[in-house]
Order: sequence, then structure tokens, then C-alpha cells
Amino acid sequence: MTHIATENYKTQARAATRNIVLQGALAGLQERLGKGTALAYQDLPEGPDLRYKAHDIRMHAINNLDVLLKQLAEKIRSQGGHVFFAVDGKSAAAYCLDIARKHHVKLVVKGKSMVTEEIRLNDALTNEGIDVYETDLGEYIIQLAGEHPSHILAPAIHKTREDIGRLFSEKLNISYTDDPPSLTKAAKTALREKFFAADMGISGCNLACAETGHITTVSNEGNIRMSSTMPKIHMVFMGMERIVDSLKDHNILLRMLCRGASAQKLATYVSHISGPAPTDHLDGPEAFHLVILDNGRSRILADKNFREMLCCVRCGACLNVCPVYRKIGGHAYGYAYSGPVGAVVTPLLIGINRAKHLCQGETLCGACKDICPVNIDLPRMLLELRWKLASGDPQWHVRRENRLEKAVYQGWSHLTRNRRLYDLSLWATKLLQKMLPKRSSMIAWMPPPLNGWTDSRHMKPIAKTSFSKKWKQHKLDSR
Amino acid sequence: MDQSNQDTFLKKLKRALVDVSENLRNTASSVTPGERDDHQTTLEHIQQRAANDRLALLERMITESRAINLEVVPVKDLDAAGEHIQQLVITKQPERGAAKQVVAWKHPLLESLNLEKRLKEISIPIFFTEFENHEEKALLREKIASAFIGVTSADFCLADSATIVLKTRPGQARSVSLAPSIHVAVVLLEQIIADLNELYALLKYDPAHHTEGLTRCMTFITGPSKTADIEAMMVYGVHGPREVHLYVITG
Repeated sequence: MTHIATENYKTQARAATRNIVLQGALAGLQERLGKGTALAYQDLPEGPDLRYKAHDIRMHAINNLDVLLKQLAEKIRSQGGHVFFAVDGKSAAAYCLDIARKHHVKLVVKGKSMVTEEIRLNDALTNEGIDVYETDLGEYIIQLAGEHPSHILAPAIHKTREDIGRLFSEKLNISYTDDPPSLTKAAKTALREKFFAADMGISGCNLACAETGHITTVSNEGNIRMSSTMPKIHMVFMGMERIVDSLKDHNILLRMLCRGASAQKLATYVSHISGPAPTDHLDGPEAFHLVILDNGRSRILADKNFREMLCCVRCGACLNVCPVYRKIGGHAYGYAYSGPVGAVVTPLLIGINRAKHLCQGETLCGACKDICPVNIDLPRMLLELRWKLASGDPQWHVRRENRLEKAVYQGWSHLTRNRRLYDLSLWATKLLQKMLPKRSSMIAWMPPPLNGWTDSRHMKPIAKTSFSKKWKQHKLDSR
Repeated sequence: MDQSNQDTFLKKLKRALVDVSENLRNTASSVTPGERDDHQTTLEHIQQRAANDRLALLERMITESRAINLEVVPVKDLDAAGEHIQQLVITKQPERGAAKQVVAWKHPLLESLNLEKRLKEISIPIFFTEFENHEEKALLREKIASAFIGVTSADFCLADSATIVLKTRPGQARSVSLAPSIHVAVVLLEQIIADLNELYALLKYDPAHHTEGLTRCMTFITGPSKTADIEAMMVYGVHGPREVHLYVITG
């Protein structure tokens, strides 16, 4: 799989719908997490409407992003940490490599981070001859298999225990087992020595707080704590939008994040990290680096129609309820971000034309908005993207995707405003439809390009007597 | 670092936000004076909490702990806690290697547990995380890596989510609650507070905590380490401890 594979959406999606194992796994995931999250909101002491408050908190942070990031950077520096502002993925990776070279880093352990996936940090490090180990169990499995994650929170959801058993017996040199606890133990044993030997730990950042000057990492396995405790250097990659103003806001956001991600009150481990460990501490990193990444986000920030997208905390809740994701899985989306969040954020980051299938594939059912812990209006933005694809947009460099579509709709518009022409075309269509094959008085097949309607369902033919004729008749009769 | 880099970066964001109205761009403080009073009330509420209310919080914590596989054990006094830990050391088996070895925070509360003496009785070595020089530091880190039980205290516990809150300080190493396969924490009943609201109010408005700050790393631990990454099957004990035991001294 190449880095950006959004063009393959349709083929990938088709393959996924035929993969019985994947279909079972996706359904199970949604039944468990999607429903669990909805219940977890009901259990909030403040009630489920806290989602609206959380939205306001996020918008407040986004509206003041420049000020808050400056405050965060100053605080972190005053606590002995380093902060680097990276305009794009390339400069972020270059900064990381520069620090790695200076400290002769040979081995890196990583906590799960979608941002590093976005900027292909692993490739940059590997090309430099540095060994990189993903340490989240799901990510580790994916890395061993040479694949990419298919879910923000459950990256290996598409793999069976037998797949993983075969993979581990081949790559870790252990005898085959498909027992999840034994497999977990094998991964743990393999990674434990890496944690202690690593020169650098890399993690993402679930939240940052300007008031205190700390970043927050959240995990259930403990791998992020390991990565941020054992190695001499801890480097954090943060999407620039991932900040809140104060501890008061952090309280609400953290609770909403854990509920959205995995229906938990709090994840097993939540660390508030604000700088390197002082020398009189026994452990913790000697150096702490925070990389704050733009990589196309400032363009989203500048457009008030899409600014709301920066409220996203990448919890993955929308994946767990989306009827489209449930069928096609994460790989079809062809980029680091899948599901409804991917359908909006990927086009905005890599180009709307390039990722057109993503926003066109969603159903606009609104489940994503209802489950979002910060109540982001994803359906509105999906429509906004489709509008741009239909009519073109110079600001986002969108070229009109389908000239024929526009022409057809213009023709339709003309037709419906001209009575005679409309009646004439109805008459012609009625004649033509007689030639089409029927099944229980429904049209069973239409020629291309109209077969999209009849490939998977039958269509009702146009009625013998039109509504307007019936209406006139009705008026006459009742006189 | 590179100041000019930062300035350009932030200027770009400022330009992007040019259409945001002035009243949405006041970040001087998101806390209004009224909210500050709220926090004062919260602090007083915590400090003046009646003994019964404290026990009710403990009950709530025990109820919450069941779902996450955390072991919360109320004990009368420090001596009883020490006794329990001694029993754990005797009955539990190490996950890695055959030799039993214990590490513990250098912490006033833990000193009163007489762990050194108790473990000497059963000839099991215990190491406390204090050091004089670089060699001792390196040696201790090895001891933590090979220990099967790590003993800590905590700053607070949150009843609402059954969470243990630990700040790092000299003598209070992060890895004691992380690297061994069993984590034991000992706290006093009054260290249990209701929830995150109360914790953040304390961190912000309690003078001692406010001055100290979050320390460089403040960690919440809510049960043992776990994963569901293989076919959604829950497995305890991945990179962190597979068991967590919390002893609450009720007095």
C-alpha cells in the first residue's frame, strides 16, 4: 500500500465487503464500542449534553490557537523542554532526525500516534538506519505484517488470531499459537527489551493544556508510559489543534475523549507530562521535545466552513457507528485517517479532488455527529466538500469533478420548468421503459450509465397515469 | 529553539483567524471570578468532609474497581497493610525469572510499613528508590526492571473512576508502578477524593499543590494494564502490571 491510496477507494471497499472475517470483526467492534460509547454519555454526571459544552471548549481553543500554542511553548521551555513548530511533515521529520543524529540514536520505541502515521515518520527513521518499534500491540502486529492501521483505536481489527499466530511464529521465532494471552505475552517479551534498550521514545499527544504547559498521553497497555519513561529522549508529535485552554477544560475533554474512544470513564493510563525529568529523579527522560505540526491544518483553520474540523480529538467514536465504515473498513479510506473523520479531514489535508471518493461514499445519516464527543457536524462538512467537487473551488484548488453531472442537472432544471417539454419527455420515457426487462412489474435492468440504480435493486417504472392527471381527474369527479 | 520559526508559524495562525470576532478572542482567563469561588467551595468541601462521607467514597471506589479488575482492600492500620503486602510477596509468583525481588518508593508512609524487616523474615530482597550517585541510579533501574512487585503510595485516589493519581518526585520513581508485574499502592482514607473536578481544583487552588505544579509527570492509573487488540479479547498485563492492589488505611 502506498502512502496515499485514496484513489483505490472503490476497489478496496469492494474487496472489504467480500471479506467475511473483516465483516464479522467490524460488526463486533461497532456493537461493542459504538453502543458502549452512547451509554457512557448517558452515565455522565452532567448528562450527555456535556458534548455541546465540549464543543464550545474546543471552539474556544481553536479560535485562540495562536495565543494558546505560544503559552504552551513558553511553559514547556520554562520547564526545561524543547518545542519545535513544524510547518509540514518534512520539517517535523527532519527535526526528529536531527535530534536522533546528535544523540546517536539507534533504537526508537513508539507509542501509537496518528500524526506520525500522517507524516510517515517511521520511513524517515528507517531510511536513516534507525530501528523503529511500534509498541501498541495492534500497531506492532501491523508493523510486523508490513501493513497500515485500519482503525484509529483498534489498528489490527482486520486480523484474526490465526493470522497473528502465523505472523508471530514466523517473525518472532516462537511456536505457533492462536491463544490471545500467549500471543500478547510473546509481543510483550519481544518489546520489553526494546523499551529498556531504546535511546528515544516517540509518542503522540492526546491533549495539551496551555495553562499548565503539559501534554497528555492516554493508553490502556502502558506502552506509552514505557516509551516516555525508559529512553533518554522523549519526543512528542502533536497536531497543532490538540490543545485546551485550562485544567478546567482539560477535565471535560479528557473524560469525553476516553468515553468516545473506548466507552471508559478513564483509560488505564493517563500521563500529564510537562518536561524532562530533573536529575534527582530516578527515571524519566533527560530530554523532552515537543513537535507542534501544521501540515495543512492552518489552511483548514483559515476556512470558517471547515474550522470546526479542528475540534476533532481523534477518538475514533465516529468509526464505531458509521454504516459505511462498518462495511468497508479502514483500508479503503487510503490514508492515516479512516471513517467519517477521514472522509472530511483527508480531502482537506491531501487535496479534495484526490480524495473525492471518501466524502462521496458516506451516507450523511448523521450517526457520526451524534456520537462525536465534541459534537462535530461532519455531515455538514461532507456536503460542503461535495459542493466544491460539483462546482469547483479556486481557493481550495478544486476542479469541477464531473462536467456531465452539472450539464445533466442544468438540463433537468430546464426540463422541469417547461411543461410541454416535461410532458413530452414523460411520454417518451414511458415508451422506452416498455422495452426494459421486468421482474414482478419492477424494472430489473437499465443500460449503462443508468445501471447504477438497477445493479443491486429493482426500480419502480413510471406510472401509467401521472399524478397531475390523476389530480385533475379527482377534481372533476368530486365536482 | 528557533524563535523566528515559531513567530512565522503563529503569525500564520493569527492571519487564519482574522475573521474571528474580538469577543471570542479573549484568552486572558477562561476562569471567571465566580468559578474561582466555586473552586474555593470545592476545596473547603474536600477538607471538611465528614468521616462517613469519606467511607462512602471508599465504597464507591470499591464498586468502580470491580469492573476494571482493580483490587481495593480497606485495612485498619499500617501494620495490617504491611502484613498484606508480606502475604502477597509470599503467595504471588514472578512472571519473569525465578527469584523474587521487590522495589518500593522512598516515601514516609511506606517507611511505617516495616517492609524491610518483613521481607527480611522471608529472605526476599527489597530495594528503595533513593540514590546517591550515578552508579546507584543505574543499579536501581535494573532492580526495578527485574522486580516482580513494585510498592508505591499515591497523591490521591478518584472514587468516581477508581483511579490512583501519582506525581513523580525524587524517591518516587515512575517505573515502580509500571515495570513490575504487580503494583501495590498504599494510601490513607483521606486521600480518596470524588473525581477529576475535585482533583483539578486541588491542583490549581491548593497552595502546596499549586506551587509544586504537576511535577514533570503526573500519572493516573485506572486498573491493571490491558489490551483487546487481538480479536477484541481482553488480556490483562501487557506492558504494565497485570495486577494492581490498593490498600486503603481506614484508621
